[in-house]
Amino acid sequence: MSGTVRRPPLGVVLVALVMLALGETAGAAMSRLKPEIQRYAAARIAANPGAHGFSGSAEYDDEVRDRAIFTAEAGLSFFHLHGEGVGLVLFFASALVAAVVPGRRARAVLYVLLTLGGLFPLGYLVYGAAVLEMGRDAGIELAERRVLTPLGVSAIAGLVGVWLALVRRRA
Amino acid sequence: MMEADSPTWRVPPRWVLLVAVLMIVLAEVGGGAMARFKVELTRWARDGMLARPSVHGLVGVRDVDERILDEALVKFDAGLRLFHMHAEGMGLVIIATSMVAATVIRRAAARRTIIALLTTGGAGYPVGYLAWSALIPSYGLERSKTIAEWLVWVPFGTATIVALWCLAGLVAWTMISRNRA
Repeated sequence: MSGTVRRPPLGVVLVALVMLALGETAGAAMSRLKPEIQRYAAARIAANPGAHGFSGSAEYDDEVRDRAIFTAEAGLSFFHLHGEGVGLVLFFASALVAAVVPGRRARAVLYVLLTLGGLFPLGYLVYGAAVLEMGRDAGIELAERRVLTPLGVSAIAGLVGVWLALVRRRA
Repeated sequence: MMEADSPTWRVPPRWVLLVAVLMIVLAEVGGGAMARFKVELTRWARDGMLARPSVHGLVGVRDVDERILDEALVKFDAGLRLFHMHAEGMGLVIIATSMVAATVIRRAAARRTIIALLTTGGAGYPVGYLAWSALIPSYGLERSKTIAEWLVWVPFGTATIVALWCLAGLVAWTMISRNRA
């Protein structure tokens, strides 16, 4: 079979590309700037001693600091991984929407849901930064509740919508 | 109306798709080989390290040496895993991004340059993890990482990152100029 295949709007493609580019850049930064990132994290933690529950005991405080730095680095690592993965998911899912979903309104709704879901990896940047500013537990709670969950739900809803559109098309 | 204005995809050159699919195939084969030949690969790396004790700082004391060998073998395995993961991912990245470049970039020279950077960068970068693993037994952990970094990761990774940001910029520019028109 030959013929043309419709593509999604450039705005959706741009979000996917930017996510991929950010994911790649974060991976390079993690590798090349590891000591600088760790120093920055340690400085931010030192600037927010109350949020991290420092006790004044060097041994305990060091352990808390190490755990917070590890969690912030994990946030950056998750951002790298998800930026690459979710960027591709947004690209291919929206390409599928453009190719197979017939209604203009249905396509628009799916593009919005998928594009919001495509921003999901940014939640891990918030995760890393919030851990440094607010303390480990409060930072994770904020990122999960305010960013990762709503954007993740949007991605899931968009993908379910694509699946339903494919089922309807077949029937 | 030019082809780039049409809301349909243009397929990237065939060589690009062949490279991308080959990357995915190699990644799958790498993943399968890691599982199937885990013992043989570990033995090969361990024998290579034992043959060069000074490179790895082995001192002849079993307790000390086993810890050093274990750490190097974990990194050796990590390199293979990262090759598997990155080759699969970058194969898909090459297909997606070269398709966008083929569709959106109007100037032939810019289109060819960006597609070439995306393809060579995307295909070359994961090979760095394979090189890192392969070099560990001969050169030790740090030296093998430095070699892989400067010969593979930095040049190919930079090519991909630069091409991706240029492509994102060109897509944004296309959107802006269409809104103005």
